Amino acid sequence: MGKNKVKTSDIHILNLAKLIFGPQAILYKKEDLLAYDCDGFTIERHLPRAVVFPTNTEEVSKIVKYCAENHLPFLARGAGTGLSGGAIPLNNEIIISLVRMKRLLEVDLENRFAVVEPGFVNLKLTNSISDKGYYYAPDPSSQYACTIGGNVAENAGGAHCLKYGVTTNHILGLEVVLPNGDIIEIGRNGIPDSPGYDLLGLLTGSEGTLGIVTKITVRILKNPEAKQTVLAYFDNIEDGSQAVSDIISSGIVPAALEMMDKTAIEGVEAAAFPVGHPKDIEAVLLIEVDGIAAGIDDQIELILAVCRRRNVREVKVARDEAERGRWWANRKTGFGAMGAISPDYLVQDGVIPRSKLPEVLARIHKISEESGLRIANIFHAGDGNLHPLVLFDSRIPGETEKAIQAGSACLKVCADVGGSITGEHGVGIEKKEEMRFVFNEEEIKAQTDIRNVFNPDCLLNAGKLFPTPGRCAEVKRELASKS
Amino acid sequence: MMSIANTEQKPACTTGGLGNYLWSDPPKENKWADCVHCGLCLEACPTYEQLGQEQHSPRGRVHLIKSVAEGNLFVNEAFADPVFQCLDCRACTTACPASVDVGGLIEEARGQVRQAMALKGWKAMTSKFFLETLFPHHDRLHAAGSLLKFYQKSGMQKLVRKTGLINIMPEHLVEMESIMPEIKTPVRKKYKQEQVIKAKGVTKRQVSILSGCIMDVMFSDINEATINVLTRNGNDVTIPKNQTCCGALHVHAGDREMGRKLAKQNIEAFKDSEKVIVNAAGCGCMLKEYPELFHDDPEWQEKAKEFSAKVEDISKFLYDTGYAPPKAELNTRITYHDACHLAHGQGIREEPRDLLLHIPGVEMVHMPNADRCCGSAGIYNLTNPEMAGAILESKMANVPEDVEMISMGNPGCMLQMAVGVQKYGRNQRIVHTVQLLDWAYQKEEEQGSGQDGEK
Repeated sequence: MGKNKVKTSDIHILNLAKLIFGPQAILYKKEDLLAYDCDGFTIERHLPRAVVFPTNTEEVSKIVKYCAENHLPFLARGAGTGLSGGAIPLNNEIIISLVRMKRLLEVDLENRFAVVEPGFVNLKLTNSISDKGYYYAPDPSSQYACTIGGNVAENAGGAHCLKYGVTTNHILGLEVVLPNGDIIEIGRNGIPDSPGYDLLGLLTGSEGTLGIVTKITVRILKNPEAKQTVLAYFDNIEDGSQAVSDIISSGIVPAALEMMDKTAIEGVEAAAFPVGHPKDIEAVLLIEVDGIAAGIDDQIELILAVCRRRNVREVKVARDEAERGRWWANRKTGFGAMGAISPDYLVQDGVIPRSKLPEVLARIHKISEESGLRIANIFHAGDGNLHPLVLFDSRIPGETEKAIQAGSACLKVCADVGGSITGEHGVGIEKKEEMRFVFNEEEIKAQTDIRNVFNPDCLLNAGKLFPTPGRCAEVKRELASKS
Repeated sequence: MMSIANTEQKPACTTGGLGNYLWSDPPKENKWADCVHCGLCLEACPTYEQLGQEQHSPRGRVHLIKSVAEGNLFVNEAFADPVFQCLDCRACTTACPASVDVGGLIEEARGQVRQAMALKGWKAMTSKFFLETLFPHHDRLHAAGSLLKFYQKSGMQKLVRKTGLINIMPEHLVEMESIMPEIKTPVRKKYKQEQVIKAKGVTKRQVSILSGCIMDVMFSDINEATINVLTRNGNDVTIPKNQTCCGALHVHAGDREMGRKLAKQNIEAFKDSEKVIVNAAGCGCMLKEYPELFHDDPEWQEKAKEFSAKVEDISKFLYDTGYAPPKAELNTRITYHDACHLAHGQGIREEPRDLLLHIPGVEMVHMPNADRCCGSAGIYNLTNPEMAGAILESKMANVPEDVEMISMGNPGCMLQMAVGVQKYGRNQRIVHTVQLLDWAYQKEEEQGSGQDGEK
């Protein structure tokens, strides 16, 4: 595992190496950097200048100060499971990897909060407190590997956010290293609301452009007393979509309401966690209700009745926790499962009004036919968050570009019906041009002005989130002329 | 797009491979094409857990393997490091939604590294000594075993330990020496005169066993227990004479040519066998994967497929064919460690636990992260002692305090876990699943209640 032996003529690498401790705390050889040239979004690849592995806030602050003083672009990275390219070093950045800051610092059951370092893995929080009857609600499908720091940056969602809200609804406090290296704290002791502007809300979902989060206080919840899960198969997508609408309008707030279409089903059934979905159905719904035990059975009855009214072919309730677990593993590994039926995929992340579901799916189907690329749909149907997965083969010339266009067309459809271009994956590199589908120039400028208050030199994660980088582009040109 | 190491020269002799893979049998494109870079494998990987660096994660390694084929990286030291830091524990294959065969890719990549760069210095000597001079030759292994036996029985072991002579060895070898099991007679020697070891009672099936290379020297008592348990359950047992080392260590080390040679010898040696029973998870996994070695040789690949279909781990074989649960009580609290090549490599998790739970008086305590690698990984603990030590430390932290034994199905793990028990001041006894079963049968016989009863 070796110590920090640094052999390079790059003076900045030598200086940075002196600021951090630990085995192999800095990577700088091109071969070692290759694994950092992209994240879960693989279409753009760029090498960083170096990757540093701090183990505490002070080290992060020192690194950031050094970068700021020497005009070196930098960005933060967690597990690199993000799907919009937020951690890709577009400008040859110094990557500040936070995965070695992975301690669970405090659990306060009485006041229902926990304090974690940014590299702490999402699922580990629930695993650490489940024996005491508590859990952490936001559950992105990548929760086996993704870090809570990354969740804050992207304001990550997940299947159970329909009832419990996305990451921002669970953040009570943050310690942040600002782009000049200053360390600040926002929110404290798990007190839910602070006077003044909602800076927690601003930082959460800022996609690593306003600061680097080094400590996070999150809300933890008591496990629901009871939980029931239903699987429903539909012969046509309209019936499935209508069932989704009916369930919500009946007054039930399911903990989760997920949908997969035929192509998605083909993928998950060909992959590592098949559960035996029939091959010829057009849609499967996975519906979960939880809460106090009394009343759960009534809700399930109501859901079953709605499904039957909408011509469900088959509907069943999970017999036990093991079966429930299998159904969820099948759904949650859905994106990765596409590897079993396609060499590459591009996942989109549109949000639409629920009532538009059949129309939007029909239009996505048309985009698929026109582009000649298959599109699978896996989505959080309950809150109208679509994930069209454009399947392609990057080895075939022109196919990557075609996939990007098809993905963008899907987002245009979402925006056109009154929706939005991202529900939970963030804008990153991937959707920055599509920001124009939902914001005009003035609205975009208002937001970049806010960014410039925190990140005036645009050294931190430049080129993400907004189109027309404006000032950032000038900075980049300036940097390019210096180096 | 990136391009790296363009300054390096391509070797003059090339056989025309894939990108910068210039040698035969390169990593297969269809294997990495399954990976969509989702990262769900990261937390499953013990080396990523230790280092937090993506080139030491399954996704990162697959990315690098692909990069060589794309011409962005060369097969050189910088590529060899992440590829050889991998434990080949296959935990990523279990975690992967698309079932990417990371283990297979790693082994093929190692094959390229070994052909590109010969090992140098003491590593070359050690590797050559164990992998070429010793393991494939059971006569030499037996001789080495006899020497070890002499070392233990003659008092030399005591002398070496007392005089401090032992301190000239590196720390991890001292740890190994201290837990060396007592050397007994190899079963190949013991049953040399017997064509068939007959079943006790009515013969229901004929099976052959892989006696293994190190297994039969260091752990002949486990081979003995395997034979006892098989014959006790109506199986005639043969030990085919020409069998040899399974080749797993060679394939792990990138010596696929030697792997093929040994595979061919074993395929021939077990030609007439109906079943090949294995009690070492690593060997069993290798035997089942022989077809992977013959992508360029359809005739042998066919033979390898036929052979692999006959291979079964002892625990699964007993579970599937039905066995008589012992009647005597063992009265012990145990825990179970999943050997990587049993759980991740062969998908065998429930069967050994079931065997253990059906021994009266055995109480099983759950070990958290039971299927996490212990750091043994073949001879990884000898080649990468520092990383292996760190992984062992986190493994031992998961061993429940109040158990008397840790049961498992792989000799490499047994040695490593014995080091762990010794190093961290624990007192558990390390046993093979089949040994516990055998002890229960023996006790049953002693108590004279040996009536059969099928499960």
